[in-house]
Amino acid sequence: SKGKSAAGLGIDEEIEVTRKPRAPRVKLDEHRLLSKNGIPKLRKKAKNLKFKGKGHEYSDASRLLAFYQLWLDDLFPKARFLDALAMVEKMGHKKMMQSARMEWINEGKPHSGVH
Amino acid sequence: ADGKRDVVDPEVRAYVSSLVTALGGSGADEDGRYVLGDDALACLRDLKKWLKLYDEKANRLDVARCLAESNLVGGDLLQILAAWPENATDDRLKSKIALACLELLVPLTWPLDKNSKEMTVNHHRHVPYLEIAQLGYKRSIINFDGARILHTAIRCALPSMAVDMGDRSTRDEGIIKLLLYFIRNIAMIAPPPNVQYEGDEAEISRSATIDAFDYQDVFHLLLTVSSTIGEDYNTQDVVVLDILFHLIKGVDIEKLFLDEKAADNSKMDELVRLRKKEAAMLRSYQTNAPTRHNRFGAMAWLQREDAKMTTISGQAAVTDSSRGLAKMDATKKFKPPRRALKGDNGPMDFDTPVHLSVQATKHLRAFVEEFLDSGFNPLFNHIRKAIDREAERVLEYHPRQFFYLISWFLEAERVRRRNKNPSKVQKSAVSEEVDSYSLVASVLNQEMFVTLNRAMDYTFEHKSWQDLSAAMKCFTQILLTVHDMSESPLEDDQEIAENILNRIFYEETTHDRVANITRTYKDQGFGYLDSCTELSHHYLRILEQYSKQNVDLQVRSRRRVRRKKKAARASGQDEADDDIVDESEGEDTTRAERTSHERKFEFKRFAARFLSQGCVDTFVTFAAYYNDLKSSQLKRAHRFFYRVAFKQEMSVMLFRVDIIALFYKMVKGPEGLDPQSSSYKEWDEFVKQILKKCTRKIQERPELVVEMLFSKINSTAHYLEYGYEKQTVTTK
Repeated sequence: SKGKSAAGLGIDEEIEVTRKPRAPRVKLDEHRLLSKNGIPKLRKKAKNLKFKGKGHEYSDASRLLAFYQLWLDDLFPKARFLDALAMVEKMGHKKMMQSARMEWINEGKPHSGVH
Repeated sequence: ADGKRDVVDPEVRAYVSSLVTALGGSGADEDGRYVLGDDALACLRDLKKWLKLYDEKANRLDVARCLAESNLVGGDLLQILAAWPENATDDRLKSKIALACLELLVPLTWPLDKNSKEMTVNHHRHVPYLEIAQLGYKRSIINFDGARILHTAIRCALPSMAVDMGDRSTRDEGIIKLLLYFIRNIAMIAPPPNVQYEGDEAEISRSATIDAFDYQDVFHLLLTVSSTIGEDYNTQDVVVLDILFHLIKGVDIEKLFLDEKAADNSKMDELVRLRKKEAAMLRSYQTNAPTRHNRFGAMAWLQREDAKMTTISGQAAVTDSSRGLAKMDATKKFKPPRRALKGDNGPMDFDTPVHLSVQATKHLRAFVEEFLDSGFNPLFNHIRKAIDREAERVLEYHPRQFFYLISWFLEAERVRRRNKNPSKVQKSAVSEEVDSYSLVASVLNQEMFVTLNRAMDYTFEHKSWQDLSAAMKCFTQILLTVHDMSESPLEDDQEIAENILNRIFYEETTHDRVANITRTYKDQGFGYLDSCTELSHHYLRILEQYSKQNVDLQVRSRRRVRRKKKAARASGQDEADDDIVDESEGEDTTRAERTSHERKFEFKRFAARFLSQGCVDTFVTFAAYYNDLKSSQLKRAHRFFYRVAFKQEMSVMLFRVDIIALFYKMVKGPEGLDPQSSSYKEWDEFVKQILKKCTRKIQERPELVVEMLFSKINSTAHYLEYGYEKQTVTTK
């Protein structure tokens, strides 16, 4: 039978069409947000954030916005600032994010003896 | 129609065109006059039969198409109607023929329903053609040179209208209805959205319609029917509602009530204002525009951490880092999927503004004033009853028109009053002549509130947003009217207003509903957004004023009640259970103090419902349209944010990066508010305060840096704002 198929010039053989799977789309999900480059980095960098205070409200705000924009550009370069913000906000409703947020807030709270 | 591959069955076409030909025509022998065919009446009846038995029964529209192609309306029907002179009203045959014409005109101008599920291939084939044809019908009907066609149509129905309601035959009722539907159709026909009308738009515009209605006495007809509804007319109410709706939807009331001179001035002002706005836009562009030619090729890089660089082309980046960042952002291509806004563009849409010519403005204003004086109460009272009892003639879209029209006319009444006595200083002097609000009283009674509340509940639950939007507009205008009433010099008005406000103030279900609607906005379109923010703004504002009503005012109102009761007692109508009569002045004061204290507390509790993230988001979405908002709308958003941040001390709710970015952009641009506009200053002041608070808060509580990204739940917000957990006392 092997000879026969050879005589048929391999026409009968099934050719398997393999398409290269499309590269998975990069998503701004909670895992990315909680990764090293995500919110942990934001918290670390925030310590260097300095404001000038009274009389410099707008320049302070512009610095603050730039701070977030650059962080988001590193984390998820393809989306525009406001779009990325909306995505992050949406992620905030996920269980995992909620508990992480709770933890970060509790860290900041003054320690009381009762727990 | 070239004989080959016709869209209509050739046999049908042949029959119909032979009928049209036999109807009559004009020839050189008669100096171009139109001459009726020998059997014109029979032809007209046959055509009607064709429309009814072929088109309607088989659901096809073929005959309508043939008639449109053969120019029956412009070429025959209007000519025949025009040839019915005023003094020949008694001519039986002629009036019969005129009526037969009207009977054909109504189905031909009937609105084409495009959304129903019963649309067949034939509909898809004919509807676009017929839509354009109807525009042609309207044009030739309202602009007909030889005669007043609409007026002639009214004459057809006059004999039936002259009969007492009880004595009218079904045929009489039918004729009256036919006439009203004809007028409704004419008012309703407008170029469909997305279709470019090739003729002169001015000939079929709203202005042209209004002018024609004025000239051809249609307004008189409408006033007659609406002011005597319930006596001489009964079931015609919903058609009149329909006509009024298509006549006034989208008309700007403020502009309507400017007098002619002021209108001229305001046109100039408008031009000046627009030029200024344009200049401001250009200025803001020019400050950011490149100063050299576009191939100058500057390239800057932004030093990032970890020795990373970002390159940005163009001069902008060299001079200003924030503009560099903006440029970096603008070059990104990715766009997340977005849902389209669900507005309504069909004939029932009332959010699209309409411009009227000076002439039409004058005519419409005269009509509106007369309608308010005579037709408002009877018509709307009658329709409210029909809606409440779910009468068969009330169709699904009628409540929407009903509420929208009430809101529109109430606002018109308020504007009219304001214009009548512009100086409030003199009001004590002329208090004798002040009109009471009885002209609009029919929509301020308890039954109306019941209907309105039910409608708001129902539409909210069934997600029919445009209907809800109309109901909200209605509620807003009722509130504003009641508020104006409470400041009226007439004691009766004050008392009624106070009763209504008192009821609303303690109605928890209404509070919940308003807050819920505001909280749940999600891509319902700008018109809806405008209505719901307007409602919550005025609702909060009016109830706040009511809660602040000083002790003095309450004492006065109690005194008034006492006086009334005394008078009643004197006239012999004794009531045993009046607890007020025997109190002294001192007791009045303590009582009033207690109530005002209670009310303040109540209001605080109520206003707290608007502190949720949902409500804030709704107003943020609204404020994001800042460049297209009027100053009153900007004020609305400003007051809300101000209330959240400072009056109720929950500025944390506004500390989210996108909100801060929006506020920053509104003031500092690019494409920010015009610094010369009146709104700019208060926004500048407010945003500055918010930013100051925000940066201070971040230093105070570093956790906020993360929370700035997210919506906060109430407990978190409370902690961030005050630094301690909210005491949650559970008493229930």
